[in-house]
Amino acid sequence: MIPTPGAFLRVGGLLLAAVIVQLSGLGQMRILGGHLDFVPLVVAGVAYYAGSVSGAATGFGAGLLLDLLAGQTMGASSLVLCAVGYGVGRFRELRDPSHGLLPIPVGAAATAGWVLAFGAVSFMLDVGAAKVSGLVFREMVVTVLLDTLVALPVFGLVRRVIRPVLAVDPLERRRRRQRPRESGPLGLRGMEV
Amino acid sequence: MFDRKTIRRRRAVLIAFVAAAMVLITVSFGGGGPLGSIQQGAQDVVSPIENGANRALKPVRDLFGWLGDTFDAKGDNEQLRDEVASLRKELAARETARRDADQLRGLVGLRRTDGFPEGTNPVAARVITRSPTVWYSTIRINKGSGDGIRVDQPVIAAGGLAGKVTRVSGGSAQVTLITDSSSAVSAQVVPNGANGIIKPEVGKPDDLLLDFVQKGRRLREKSTVVTSGFASDQVHSIFPRGIPVGRVSRVDLDEVELYQRVHIKPFADLRRLDFVQVLTQRPGTQAQVPTP
Repeated sequence: MIPTPGAFLRVGGLLLAAVIVQLSGLGQMRILGGHLDFVPLVVAGVAYYAGSVSGAATGFGAGLLLDLLAGQTMGASSLVLCAVGYGVGRFRELRDPSHGLLPIPVGAAATAGWVLAFGAVSFMLDVGAAKVSGLVFREMVVTVLLDTLVALPVFGLVRRVIRPVLAVDPLERRRRRQRPRESGPLGLRGMEV
Repeated sequence: MFDRKTIRRRRAVLIAFVAAAMVLITVSFGGGGPLGSIQQGAQDVVSPIENGANRALKPVRDLFGWLGDTFDAKGDNEQLRDEVASLRKELAARETARRDADQLRGLVGLRRTDGFPEGTNPVAARVITRSPTVWYSTIRINKGSGDGIRVDQPVIAAGGLAGKVTRVSGGSAQVTLITDSSSAVSAQVVPNGANGIIKPEVGKPDDLLLDFVQKGRRLREKSTVVTSGFASDQVHSIFPRGIPVGRVSRVDLDEVELYQRVHIKPFADLRRLDFVQVLTQRPGTQAQVPTP
């Protein structure tokens, strides 16, 4: 991603919207004992299209906003989301995957990493009880499944918002690479000189 | 694929962010401090937006709630019919007992201490955010110090205890739920009178534990549990006497344990709170009750 004021504005606006919608709406919406969680999907989306450094920065920013507005221990969400963003970004940089449905497993993995790691960090910082109900794990599984279902449209939305500020759009580059050649440089069909 | 400089830069960025997060955790751990006031300021600025978003998303939330409720409706209907029948009997017995108690109190000149809900002045508030953790620890409401909300005031929802106010700013307040691991509420089973402390079972918002109940007390399922409003000369519970908390769902009688553990299903649905009431006044002590 090109670090311009426009890029900061776009990603910042996206994160603010995601955090507010999460805290005010989705977080209170119970579906089969769990709830949708947009924040890790948005972070994973930015990391997937913009790379590991932008992913880590977006994760840190999203965590900061989440902690600030939810009134919980500052830095806890930042730590986890920063790792999630970096991980997804590195996956994209190393593998350069091409399948169009890849946001689904990436979103699922990002959400699973987020709910497990954030659950553990917040447990150590704020809870510290000797016994934890198994319902917590059921809720985590439901959240991962729900996020898996909405990963594709959320990634699409993220791409649409940040596309103008991307240095290289991985999907566009891939499409160009995969386009069958009509002719070689000398006008000879099928010749790759 | 990348040159050394890019790799070094990438690693340095990650280390810097992780270090910054660790510093933030260290500084803000335990609440308060300079970051606490920044948090409060940010929440004050954003709370009108959150309030608007909350209202805008309510129809969607209600739709999902309605779908879930429809599945449970049939079972609930039968259960509620049974409950109404048993409550009618209980009400008749209570009315008789109350009349007797009032007469006896008048005879011996005993002063009566008010309990919930007399004199508590409830302020209704909308829940604007819920903490994003799975531990059901806090919510934020759209009323603050300007509406008479103060720290440690009890919060109720759907006729049952929900928590207490732990942080207040101008236009919003943070409520720590009774399902938070730090919560402990002195409570009493009625009509039995057995006292204990309500603690949450972490991660299970529909099951609270009434602990430290002596073994000799025989408790019945479906008995009501209310706050005991413990008070002495030096200290008193922040929860006034008589706030309903829930019903006894199960009693664990472990022979090894000194106390019995009583499971309570709370009246307030702590997983789905849209509106709550903050009790902004403590009930005072009333004058002698006139003999009827």
